[in-house]
Amino acid sequence: MGKFMELRKVVLVLAGRHSGSKAIIVKNIEYGTSDHPYSHALVNGIDCYPSKVIAAMGKKKIAKRSKIKSFVKVYNYSHLMSTRYSVDSPLDKTVVNKDLFRDPALKHKVRHEAKKLRF
Amino acid sequence: MKTVATKKTKKSLESIDSRLQLVTKSGKYMLGYKQTLKMIRQGKAKLVILTNNCPALRKSEVEYYAMLAKTGVHHCNGNNTELGAACRKYYRVCTLAVIKPGDSDRSVPKQTGEK
Repeated sequence: MGKFMELRKVVLVLAGRHSGSKAIIVKNIEYGTSDHPYSHALVNGIDCYPSKVIAAMGKKKIAKRSKIKSFVKVYNYSHLMSTRYSVDSPLDKTVVNKDLFRDPALKHKVRHEAKKLRF
Repeated sequence: MKTVATKKTKKSLESIDSRLQLVTKSGKYMLGYKQTLKMIRQGKAKLVILTNNCPALRKSEVEYYAMLAKTGVHHCNGNNTELGAACRKYYRVCTLAVIKPGDSDRSVPKQTGEK
C-alpha cells in the first residue's frame, strides 16, 4: 500500500551484465516515458567492487585494490530488487538525469559524481 | 505491518473462499506472481494471498516486497489448485493480489480471527 521504489534506496540489479550488483536509485520514473513506457529508475551501481585487502599489503597496493568503478543505467523496476536499506548522501540532481546517455562526456562526469557517494 | 501466518482450519478456508468470491465479482484482483509483484511495486495491492505450496523462495520474495510496501500477506490454507478454483478459474494460481476489495471487507485475516 505504499510505494517503496524511492530515491536513494539501495537496490539489487537482477538482469543484464550488472546482475547481482548493488545500486542506488538516483531517479525513479513511476509511469514511464515515451522511450521507456514502463516504470523504471535511473540507477547508479557498483561495476567493480573493491578487492579484499589485508594488513600485509603495502599502501599503494591497498589504494589500488580499494578502487570502485560505478555504472549508471536505466532499469525497469521488474529488473531491480529493492531492499529496506537506503543511503543518505546528497545527490547532485542537476548532473544526473537522462540526458547523460547521449553525451559521453556527461556520462563520465556523472560516474565521477557517483563515485563520490561511495566514500 | 499485517504479515499474518496463522494456522487455518478447513472452515476458515471456506470463509476465505466466500470473501474471494466477493472480490472476484465486485473488486479488482491480479493473479500470478509477476502481476502481483507489479501491483505491490506500484503500491496498488491491498492484500497478497499466497498458497501453501507456493515455492519457498517465491514466498519469501513476495513477503519481502509486501513488507517494504506495508501490504498485508495472507498465507491461505489451500494449494494453488484450490486457489484457482476459488477464483473461478480453470488454472492454478499460487499468488494473488487484491487491488480493490469491492464488497468484501478487505482485512481478511482479521475477520477470520474474529470468527
